[in-house]
Amino acid sequence: MNAWRNLNGEGRMGAVILTALILMALLAPILAPGDPLAISGEPLLRPFADAAHPLGTDRLGRDVLAGLLHGTRTTLLVAFFSAAAALIVGSVVGTLAGFLGGIADAILMRITEAFQTVPGFLLALAAISVTGPSVPTLIFAISVGTWTQAARVTRAEVLSLRERDFVAAARTLGMHPLEIAFREILPNAFGPAASLAAISVAAAILIEAALSFLGFGDPNRVTWGSMIAEGRTVLRSAPYLSIVPGIALVVTVLAVHLLGRGLSRSERLQP
Amino acid sequence: MSRIILNRRAFLAATASAGAIAALGGKGWAAEQPVKGGRLIVAGDSEPANLNPAIVASNGVFFVASKVIEPLAEQSYEGKDGLSPRLATSWEGSPDGLSATFKLREGVTWHDGKSFTSADVAFSALEVWKKLQNLGRVVFKNLDSVDTPDDHTAILKFSQPTPFQLIRNALPVVTSVVPKHIYEGTDIAKNPANQQLVGTGPFKFGEYKPGEYYLLKRNDAYWQKDEPLLDEIVYQFLPDRAAAGNALEAEQIQLAAFSAVPLADLDRISKVPGLKVYANGYEGLTYQLIVEINHRRKELADLKVRQAIAHAIDHDFVVKTIFLGYAKSSSGPVPAYDKTFFEPDVTKYAFDPAKAEALLDEAGYKRGADGNRFTLKLLPAPFFNETKQFGNYLRQALAKIGIDAQIVSNDTPAHLKAVYTDHDFDITVATPVYRSDPAISTTILFESGLPAGVPFSNQYGYANAEIDKLIKDAASTIDADKRAGLYKELQKKAAHDLPLINVAEFSFITVARDSVQNVSDNPRWAVSNWSNVWVKP
Repeated sequence: MNAWRNLNGEGRMGAVILTALILMALLAPILAPGDPLAISGEPLLRPFADAAHPLGTDRLGRDVLAGLLHGTRTTLLVAFFSAAAALIVGSVVGTLAGFLGGIADAILMRITEAFQTVPGFLLALAAISVTGPSVPTLIFAISVGTWTQAARVTRAEVLSLRERDFVAAARTLGMHPLEIAFREILPNAFGPAASLAAISVAAAILIEAALSFLGFGDPNRVTWGSMIAEGRTVLRSAPYLSIVPGIALVVTVLAVHLLGRGLSRSERLQP
Repeated sequence: MSRIILNRRAFLAATASAGAIAALGGKGWAAEQPVKGGRLIVAGDSEPANLNPAIVASNGVFFVASKVIEPLAEQSYEGKDGLSPRLATSWEGSPDGLSATFKLREGVTWHDGKSFTSADVAFSALEVWKKLQNLGRVVFKNLDSVDTPDDHTAILKFSQPTPFQLIRNALPVVTSVVPKHIYEGTDIAKNPANQQLVGTGPFKFGEYKPGEYYLLKRNDAYWQKDEPLLDEIVYQFLPDRAAAGNALEAEQIQLAAFSAVPLADLDRISKVPGLKVYANGYEGLTYQLIVEINHRRKELADLKVRQAIAHAIDHDFVVKTIFLGYAKSSSGPVPAYDKTFFEPDVTKYAFDPAKAEALLDEAGYKRGADGNRFTLKLLPAPFFNETKQFGNYLRQALAKIGIDAQIVSNDTPAHLKAVYTDHDFDITVATPVYRSDPAISTTILFESGLPAGVPFSNQYGYANAEIDKLIKDAASTIDADKRAGLYKELQKKAAHDLPLINVAEFSFITVARDSVQNVSDNPRWAVSNWSNVWVKP
């Protein structure tokens, strides 16, 4: 509860929305049982026209609400795991580069820069077209493009930390350099990198949606991006098919951002 | 006072006659007063690397190239044998099936000014159609030589009896004539004229800007008097292909063929004043929605399982919901419109999930604890929106009878490789084209013993000696009725044994501004020469 009290209004709002979304994702199988891709009614029912399909149905007669609820699962699953993967890989690379210095630093940073020069979305697109779409490959593809930020922030932090007295003390105690790097320095450098998490999650959500929109999502799962893409062919006659998942996307990204900002203000994680 | 009355009378008389003139004039315009000149702007389709229709006989190529390079004959709604003459004026097959004689049109010149002669036909047939063309390799397999007794007669000689019925049906698609003097002695497949086309058609190739447009210009020396009517045709590539409907409404383009306007948008578009929707003009390019089956898979090798899958598919849903009525349910490999070859009396599989489940139980594939009998890998072809939607539907339809179909989505090259080279699939959704004769691109789906890597062919591990024999016999049967009889037998066998499942046949829609005249006036309209198309000013 301490964290809640420390949060400002923005952060609290973000936390509430995000909790609601997580609940939606967890309860999706209960709220909308069965396969969300099942054809369950007349095609192209408008929202609020039929109690059985409160948000209407799509071109094939699939329930939009069921798609929306189950889409939350895919979206959050992919977003959180890819942001976590990006954060872990990034901070390990950053710590090694900052702590070892010299040639290792140069090599690791050049690799990081090589990744940074290519837009993250293109990297994800390339990775997905090689591996083929499924949830694990999506997580991999998205983190390939997003780990570099965490690496750079961590490295900058480590560079200043490694000159501190407690590191010198650890050295004189005879600790193994890697032990110093990961047990002494990384935990202290992790804060600023963690404040990137919100941005990473938001970026991951958008990349996942864009990939699904382009048809590179997992075809056996419903995602918001693929819902928007399928609605696009009937944009003029049934705009709600794209608008409903579009709103869900905006709300989610907004919530993550709000929470991220709230957290960084309250805990002064910002470097 | 009297002046006013007079004036009013005069006014009424004047307006009445003006109305009459307008009415008469309007009729006159539409019926027989085509206006020459003007430019037609069309939504571009694809930008093929090789635009030579003599080598790549595909609709994407024909859409542009058919205006520049002509075949010997074109399909027509009213002509004899469904053909109207182009570069050939008459054609005749010998009774033994070993030769076919073509009388060629006189006074035709190539776009570079040289005369068109039988030598061009002989060269095209032997060096291009037979050796390089995707479909010609099948149709002209037994072509031995071409005799040219004079400049306007070409006699095709075959080493084996070849049904003239097949040659005739294939004329519009496989006989695009290219100029010998440009291709002879060069590497034909890499000749620059494959992009910068030289032909005899009503339009000359003007310019190609990749990603922007193709420009075709009027051929003033065209052999058909007073044609073409248009000065220019522009194939404009739209940055967003889904925006063809909006571009038509905004009058940025005047015509969108090949269903560039999505089916789901047609209902709305048809109500927009100034736009017209044409559902005809594609009969000669019928696509078939089929489910391909990998017979290497133990479960699918069982006829009962294939029957169960056929019974699980609701043709009515496919036609009404996926194709929004712009398709027909189909029962076999020959579409119903082809009166010569179509066989209506075949085994049919009514939509009956209960029967499907009973068949699966009989075959020994009971539902497991999770409700599934077995899992299949389903690869919907990425060619059309509708193939992807049918893939989604099929997954649901199979789930109802306890088959778990997992969709694998690929882009076009990966899909072709997975299915036709690597055989890495259990079932697919595919769209082979029926091209006016079963021997052109349909029997290849049933014939066994084809090497891996031939796209749109039997890569299904299916071999049936009876079907193979029918195909072989028909390939050398000269008598048209007997040949048709063999193909009817083939349809019965195919429907009974289900090497693949025919679901629907569909074609395309053209949407045009109502000022564009003579749209869809032959069964291959989008890929014919458009010499009589004109635009009302």
